[in-house]
Amino acid sequence: MSLKEKLDLYRLNQDEYKMICEKLGREPQGIEWALFSSLWSEHCSYKSSKRHLKKLFREGPRVLESFGENAGVIDLGQGERIAFKMESHNHPSFIEPYQGAATGVGGILRDIFTMGARPLALANYLCFGDLDAPRMTTLVDGVVRGIGGYGNCVGVPTITGQTEFHSSYNGNILVNAFALGYFGKNDGVFLSKAKGIGFDVVYVGAKTGRDGIHGASMASESFEDGDESKRPTVQIGDPFLEKLLIESCIEVMNLGLVDSIQDMGAAGLTSSSFEMASKGQVGLDLELDKVPLRDSTLTPEDILLSESQERMLLICEPQKVDSLKEVFLKWGLDATVIGKVKEERKVSLFWNGDRLAEIDPDILVEEAPEYDRNYDPWDSLNKKEKIQFDSEKINLEELKSYQGSTRSWIYDQYDQRVGANTARDCSGSIGVIQLPESGRALGIVLGCRPHVMRHDAWIGGADAILYPSIELSIKGFEPLAVTDCLNFGNPEQKSVMSEFVASLEGLNLSCQKMKTPIISGNVSFYNESNGDNITSTPSTGLVGLRDSLSYIPADRFQEEGSQIILIECPQVLLSGMRAENKGRDLEFTGELNVQEVSRWCEKLKEMVLKESPLSTRIVGKFGLSYALSRMSMDSVSANCNLNEGEFSGEKLYQVLVEVKKSKSEVWINKMDARVIGETQATGVLVLNKETQFQVSELRKLYKGGLSDVMGAQ
Amino acid sequence: MSRVGVLRFPGTNCDLDVFRAIEDLGHEACWIWYANPFEEREYDSYVIPGGFSFGDYLRAGAMAAQSPAMDSLKKAVKKGAPVIGICNGFQILCEAGLLPGALVRNEKLRFIDRWVELVDQNKEIYSLPIAHGEGRFYIEEDGLKELRDKDQIWLTYKDNPNGSISDIAGIKVNSVSALMPHPERAMKDWMGGTDGRRFFECL
Amino acid sequence: MKVGVKIMPRNEVLDTQGRTVGAALKRQGYEVEDCKVGKFVILDLKGEDSSKVMEQASEIAKSILCNPLIESFETVELS
Repeated sequence: MSLKEKLDLYRLNQDEYKMICEKLGREPQGIEWALFSSLWSEHCSYKSSKRHLKKLFREGPRVLESFGENAGVIDLGQGERIAFKMESHNHPSFIEPYQGAATGVGGILRDIFTMGARPLALANYLCFGDLDAPRMTTLVDGVVRGIGGYGNCVGVPTITGQTEFHSSYNGNILVNAFALGYFGKNDGVFLSKAKGIGFDVVYVGAKTGRDGIHGASMASESFEDGDESKRPTVQIGDPFLEKLLIESCIEVMNLGLVDSIQDMGAAGLTSSSFEMASKGQVGLDLELDKVPLRDSTLTPEDILLSESQERMLLICEPQKVDSLKEVFLKWGLDATVIGKVKEERKVSLFWNGDRLAEIDPDILVEEAPEYDRNYDPWDSLNKKEKIQFDSEKINLEELKSYQGSTRSWIYDQYDQRVGANTARDCSGSIGVIQLPESGRALGIVLGCRPHVMRHDAWIGGADAILYPSIELSIKGFEPLAVTDCLNFGNPEQKSVMSEFVASLEGLNLSCQKMKTPIISGNVSFYNESNGDNITSTPSTGLVGLRDSLSYIPADRFQEEGSQIILIECPQVLLSGMRAENKGRDLEFTGELNVQEVSRWCEKLKEMVLKESPLSTRIVGKFGLSYALSRMSMDSVSANCNLNEGEFSGEKLYQVLVEVKKSKSEVWINKMDARVIGETQATGVLVLNKETQFQVSELRKLYKGGLSDVMGAQ
Repeated sequence: MSRVGVLRFPGTNCDLDVFRAIEDLGHEACWIWYANPFEEREYDSYVIPGGFSFGDYLRAGAMAAQSPAMDSLKKAVKKGAPVIGICNGFQILCEAGLLPGALVRNEKLRFIDRWVELVDQNKEIYSLPIAHGEGRFYIEEDGLKELRDKDQIWLTYKDNPNGSISDIAGIKVNSVSALMPHPERAMKDWMGGTDGRRFFECL
Repeated sequence: MKVGVKIMPRNEVLDTQGRTVGAALKRQGYEVEDCKVGKFVILDLKGEDSSKVMEQASEIAKSILCNPLIESFETVELS
């Protein structure tokens, strides 16, 4: 094989090859090629994003663990801690939607329980294309069944999520999985840095097969026509085995039998072993022939690159190994010693006694290339002095659109209550669970609104934090910390990189002002097919805390005769989703003052906790008319007298609050709010005298849309 | 106060939920690991929780039904010990022959998670959540007739979500009862309802 | 004409059901080397010419019944 062919096969470029030769003092040999191929891939090394991720706001008094570990850990006080993270599985899901989504859920769960946290909740952020685009309904169906099939069987409830639709995702869907785990008072946090010279390296879980070989490199490449041949490396997930792994790992951790542990995710045994060694600043001797195999024809290179699921690597004191094996045996899993920790900082790989490679792990992990991809300083191209809105009749057909209709077809397929901790499920604006020991409430919500990103990447990035923060605050939750999943197109294109840098700036500033550090995350680049990039989508996962589960405001109007209050912190006006759907230009006016919005958000939270309003809702896509109709879906509806201008575009930010008549003074004075109407139980939504709707009709529209199209599958 | 044995199989998910519910009601909950036989006199009653024992592979409950703990349970049932099977527990009891009929894939072939209204033998209505992919109860003509004649149909769905024959959501044969909905998920107001509390009464 | 289509997981791909069932049988004391779980679909197709019908069954299997990413199939003529 010529050098060029080899570089193509292992997906390395000339510069990277030169770097490798410099670091090794010679050309790479044998399986070293495979090691560099996987650990220096975009997916594992973050080479295009690292320099920007370093600038992220990560500090805070509650942060116990952050980047550098499998997931971030936050201190909730009272001995309780949580670990959470979000990850993408976009490319595999496009190829095989069920297994791609399923293994995405499996992977993120492992990142959580590898730290010793019992998984408590799942959430997912999905972006699909037009439902009439080729394969799209198959993709939606497969992804939803895959998430449900894995999450339900493994026994972790899916309690919230977000689903977006836009043609820019036609060739690249996004499947981001979020998981959160819990540590009680007596539970220890387990890290992945290998330590303990002379300790055993133990492989636990499923046997190794051919799954996903070269998978890490695949995620770093865009799709092109003729990609059918990128099979057959589909990774198959087994949620039953994962459940056994969760129980057995937590058991051995509680028994004090484990020193450090990491899951085998992207780049399988390679990434876990080299990363554990590099973080611990130690070396490892690994005997690849001891790895339990499902397929005896696997070569050492195959074994190193296999992405067979449901496997963990852990470090254990030699005298504890027998007890450890007993626990795994009880649960029906393999636990095999495959190596030892040593002082010399080299990872040495052996095959039946022959040493195949010996490399300083830092070269592969710490010293992976870091690129400074070209970008331009952000230029808000869509900013205008003023936006002209066409005068149009409000018709609320938006309730029936894919973007505006109910997602119940999706979440009715997820077990939302296993664990018996769920207080608010997917049908609510945020997910809420009860913390097992203290009984306090934890709120989870996902963020990022692609249509806002399309208006402006900087604002969209800020909105990815501010919007979910407001959603948490208006239910009385204090936003604590953030995880993110940055989904972008080809970073080698300046326009994409510029959006990456700009949105990250907006996102980061918002985290600083909201005092919500980013504690974990993931980057997915190359979401591009045939030259078309996706909408830049920096999705986020926010977690908030509240002392009590009582008096959490509802999402819909509760009582007739209440006052409907509109509270604004008006900074920016977007032309909005309605205009976008009508094919109009995306425009905005105003300047987003993140500091001011953050202060307003904090004030909102305080007011909600003090005054316990009946219901609250943020005004989002499609603006005020849509928000009022969503709140009117039960037996109580709005009776307002607003002028047409109020319904044009989307203001950042507005919030609706339903309060008892006697309480409205306080809100008006403290929050600079105004009463826009009253609630009634007439079955009619009144926006103004000329614009009225039968609630039964609205319900029909809302229950249709997505459900009608997918229900027919 | 009774000693309630809670069975646990590889893949059982609702064990901790059921354990908490039983203790909340004032009983003493004890674990029974599937691989170990047990002495019937150790426990006053039993609960088989929901979940995906053995991944629901082959057929839901098929492999769990063939375990040492289930052999012991069969002996206990012969002596009249009360048993409640919830969701996967219902499936396991049918596979083990301790209840008639079988649970097969929901009519629309999808997993369903929602709150449903149930009607009991006294025509009273309760709200409980369901979450299952194989909740459609099937039994042959003769078996159905026997259930009706002996008043063994414990619960029916007000609005059948999965195509169960005769809208059956739960049955009670002698000391063995089972239901597809999850009472342990309706124990507190913040869970969405408290109708679940009464379903553990027979313990 | 009745045609059987046997659909099995491909050899390289993990068969989660087969693995679990095999382990359960071993636990029951049976000496099981391996176990694979698949599906058997029976199609009753119109036609007298058996080779044409078998061809049609293969097409159906390839395009709809089987997911070539993770499964392989075999058609079997049934009496």
